[in-house]
Amino acid sequence: MALLEVSDLHVEFAVQGGSVQAVRGASFSVNEGETLAIVGESGCGKTVSVQSVMGLIQTPPGRITRGTAKLRGQDILGGVAAGGREIRGTDIAMIFQDPMSSLNPTMTVGAQIAEPLIVHRGYSHRQAMRRAQELLEMTLIPDAASRINEYPFEFSGGMLQRSMIAMAIACEPSVLIADEPTTALDVTIQSQILDLMVDLQRTNNMAIVLITHDLGVVARMANDVAVMYAGEVVERGTVDDIFYRSAHPYTLGLKSAMPTNRQGAVQKLTPIEGAPPDLFDPPPGCGYYTRCPYAMEVCEATPPIVFDVDRAHQSRCWLHHKDCLQQVTQIYRP
Amino acid sequence: MEASFSFERTETIARAVTTTRPSLTYWQDAWRRFKANPRSLISLYIIVTIGLFTLVGPWVWTINPMLQDLDQISVPPGADRRARVVEPHVRWAITETPWTTSTTQLAVIGEATTQAVRLAWNPVAGASGYRVYRDIAEPNSPDALGLPLTDIVNAKITGFEDRLDLKPRTYFYSVVALSSKGFELKEHATLAVEVTRVITVNEAIARGLSELDESSLIGETVYLDFHPLGTDYLGRDMLARLMHGARVSLFIGVVAPFIYVLIGILYGSIAGFVAGRWDQLLMRFADFVVALPFLLFMILFKIIFNTEPGESGIFAMLLAMILLSWPATARLVRGQILQIREEAYIGASRLLGAGSMYLILRHMIPNTMGVILVTLTFAVPGAIFTEAFLSFIGMGVAPPNPSWGSMCNEGIKTMLTAPHELVFPAVFISLTVLVFNLLGDGLRDALDTRMRSD
Amino acid sequence: MANSRTNKHAYVRYAVIRLIQGAITVWLIATATFFAMHNVPGDPLMDEKAVSPEIRKNLQAKYGLDRPLLEQYGIYLSNMIRGDFGISYAQENRSVNDIIREHFPVSAILGVLSIVFAALGGILFGALTAINRNRLPDIVIMFLVIMGISVPSFVFAALGQMTLVNVNAFLGVSILPVAGWGSVSHMIMPSLILGLGTMAFLTRLMRSSMLEIDNADYLRTAISKGLPPTRIFLRHQLRNAILPVITVLGPSIAAITTGGFVVELVFAIPGLGRYFVQAVQQSDYTVIMGTTVFYGAFLVFMVIVVDLLYGLVDPRVRLD
Repeated sequence: MALLEVSDLHVEFAVQGGSVQAVRGASFSVNEGETLAIVGESGCGKTVSVQSVMGLIQTPPGRITRGTAKLRGQDILGGVAAGGREIRGTDIAMIFQDPMSSLNPTMTVGAQIAEPLIVHRGYSHRQAMRRAQELLEMTLIPDAASRINEYPFEFSGGMLQRSMIAMAIACEPSVLIADEPTTALDVTIQSQILDLMVDLQRTNNMAIVLITHDLGVVARMANDVAVMYAGEVVERGTVDDIFYRSAHPYTLGLKSAMPTNRQGAVQKLTPIEGAPPDLFDPPPGCGYYTRCPYAMEVCEATPPIVFDVDRAHQSRCWLHHKDCLQQVTQIYRP
Repeated sequence: MEASFSFERTETIARAVTTTRPSLTYWQDAWRRFKANPRSLISLYIIVTIGLFTLVGPWVWTINPMLQDLDQISVPPGADRRARVVEPHVRWAITETPWTTSTTQLAVIGEATTQAVRLAWNPVAGASGYRVYRDIAEPNSPDALGLPLTDIVNAKITGFEDRLDLKPRTYFYSVVALSSKGFELKEHATLAVEVTRVITVNEAIARGLSELDESSLIGETVYLDFHPLGTDYLGRDMLARLMHGARVSLFIGVVAPFIYVLIGILYGSIAGFVAGRWDQLLMRFADFVVALPFLLFMILFKIIFNTEPGESGIFAMLLAMILLSWPATARLVRGQILQIREEAYIGASRLLGAGSMYLILRHMIPNTMGVILVTLTFAVPGAIFTEAFLSFIGMGVAPPNPSWGSMCNEGIKTMLTAPHELVFPAVFISLTVLVFNLLGDGLRDALDTRMRSD
Repeated sequence: MANSRTNKHAYVRYAVIRLIQGAITVWLIATATFFAMHNVPGDPLMDEKAVSPEIRKNLQAKYGLDRPLLEQYGIYLSNMIRGDFGISYAQENRSVNDIIREHFPVSAILGVLSIVFAALGGILFGALTAINRNRLPDIVIMFLVIMGISVPSFVFAALGQMTLVNVNAFLGVSILPVAGWGSVSHMIMPSLILGLGTMAFLTRLMRSSMLEIDNADYLRTAISKGLPPTRIFLRHQLRNAILPVITVLGPSIAAITTGGFVVELVFAIPGLGRYFVQAVQQSDYTVIMGTTVFYGAFLVFMVIVVDLLYGLVDPRVRLD
């Protein structure tokens, strides 16, 4: 059984005159000590999915209408009432995209790292601060002893993200959710942060859910990948499944829009034409229908079901239906 | 199960979704958002109404705001306007002991009218004189009998004619006997007197209150001039004064911000454009003006500029306000210009060969307009407040010119007996400030100028 | 990168620079006041009954009005540095210093009570409205706030006094005195009235600041840390929301000081504000100049104090 298992998650946000169905059936899971990458373009529901798991969706306007999220088989979607607060920050922790705005500007970095220890572990202030210093050292921040008394504005972006990580792992969580942790950082720092995450994952045997739209990061970090599009997980599989045995047209589209670093290769990047559907009024059929080069009549009005392409490799596309005669060479069919 | 599904390819072109929404200009979009906010719309309507009240009002309600209606002083709105016409007053020649009876100590001779109240009382043994008091409420202690009207030093004269500022209401007269040394003796009598309003025949004719001729008019009841919002402590028509006061208050409230915002724009854009050392120098001066305590210097400037006697003081106030208020706008505009100068679209425009004038007209002004408009709207209530404050402490518009602030200043003196004299101008100030604040909020939201409400 | 020791240095430097700037501003205020008052056409002694040229000359000599302007300015400045504001024209036996010494404490007590009341009320009501956004408490309080911002202070003063008169008359006992000064009961109504406008303004500021922070990323972080809601509210939201309120306390002190003129007038409180207004009405130039410079210095100083306090509360303050 997977450590964290999210299935059939539906989230909607009330807006003027209706609701936006931000997540319309997302299922993914991550095992102990492994990394799951969730990829997809902006607005596809990646962030909303993991924020629901963390209980960060404000209700109202947000509402989880269907689905479960189980940590070691125990449902954690219920929020504070079901012990959600006890799990947050202890068993599951999260780091965010913009470390500068994600830290309280008027509290010292040390105090912010110490906070979960004081609240969840009952540490004294002094103990917690000592531990905060150790955590900063673990995340390779130089001169941690004086750094704990400084404020976020005195840190650089990379150091802030390290501090965020230190804060997240303070209570030794079994799952770390990282929402585009390197997007706001420059490339060299990006690499250091990713290395740090891998190191910490090894030492703590921690599962990581990594949200990104950078397939390079996915290739480097992930064991499993979930591709999201228009609020749905359209393809799930191992990292090799996704990269070498893509079974969904959208995954193909993503790949052909990504530059590779093959030497001497003259490559042409093909953007995906069109725009994702408006989730205020989602289309009746497949969300990718209007942009899909292989669209069929069935796709227009009937939402595709999830097909098992392989063991642990699934695709939400009618191309995998047994009656479909269309042969698409790039789409993997065993 | 899905036997009926068709797995035929569909054409890409047929699937293209057209998402063409009508495009709106910035101002069209702002107006659309503004209209969607009922509070902004209502405040706009009220501002238009106040504007009409100010500009058109005096043409409709043509009463002179300085004309005193001495028969109706501090009259609340909707008061009884009836007055009986009487002959001109003839002085009461008090004979010694005009009236005696054993039953009452104090009585009214004849009829108590606003023309005169004639009192007579029984002589008190041992008194060497009398003191007459008048109060508007029933006195509850012999030590507080109200306003002392007169001391009569002749013990034989036991009558008094009161003609002091009589109003149609109930008065409580008290007469106290005085000892030979002038001390009050214990004996005193109090009498409640209902005063009715009268008007002399000459006056009624002079004012054209009736068509009748002099002889048949006497004893008739006429209606005095109509004052829809009552009169003030000098008998001046409140509605007319509010209209003319609005002209002063709104003139200052609108013109002063308009001028100083304009000066601020000029100053700020010059500072923003010249940049460097000159910018520093200009902004240091602006900082200094900001650091001056505003109202104190308003008062100082008012003293300096307002030297000609008989001047209304409006110009002095305007000048002082302009001299002290421009730096806030200058700072704002300078900041905006410095910020816009750094924007990528300015660089792009420049790369495409746009000249300075084009940049200013096409990018700088449209992009600062919203902020300036909002600043202007919020400056109006500030200026109205300043005018009211100065007029209230007697430093504003000189009497007899009305302004809402000076009307409040006068009204506060009669606040307990005639609250309408304070309430009306106060309501007008508050309502005007309120609607301009609401309009400013609405404009800020509509123009999305990212200003906070401070 | 700065460590906390260099921070302390920077802070002291910042404080010194601010104080020097403040001193320059006060000097400029004093100069502006001096030349402004000397440009008033006519003679300050014009209204005096000293008709005889002899007496007039003596009086001019007494007040130093017979000397050249620059010399007068020099004397004025050196006197001011020594803290001597001269002698009142209208009340010849009283020095301006005496007037300030006697009446400023009254205004100060009134002002301090008002600002405390305004700040506490503003923070409390602002937080309350933000928490109950678009619900009944928010709507009611924001309606009152709009009223509070739109009604001039003298109207509040008059209404407050009128209410007291009527309530006292209705109950037959004096629950609070209608006017005057002396006991704590005298202070309550005027300081409430004086603080009302500022409180309305601070409430609005606090509300918008709270709502802005409502969407802040660091609140999301705090929730993701599993902190109890009260801790999130107090440590992360309220603390940051109060900062903008502190920055406007300086200007608010100025507003309350000048608002005090009116409240002192209406409630017959023997504060400096009332004396200033009286001096203005009597053209008592030395008192006007003295109090203007005194108030100017006081307000400049208060703004610096508030800024320095802010520097202590908000670590991000730019120390330059």
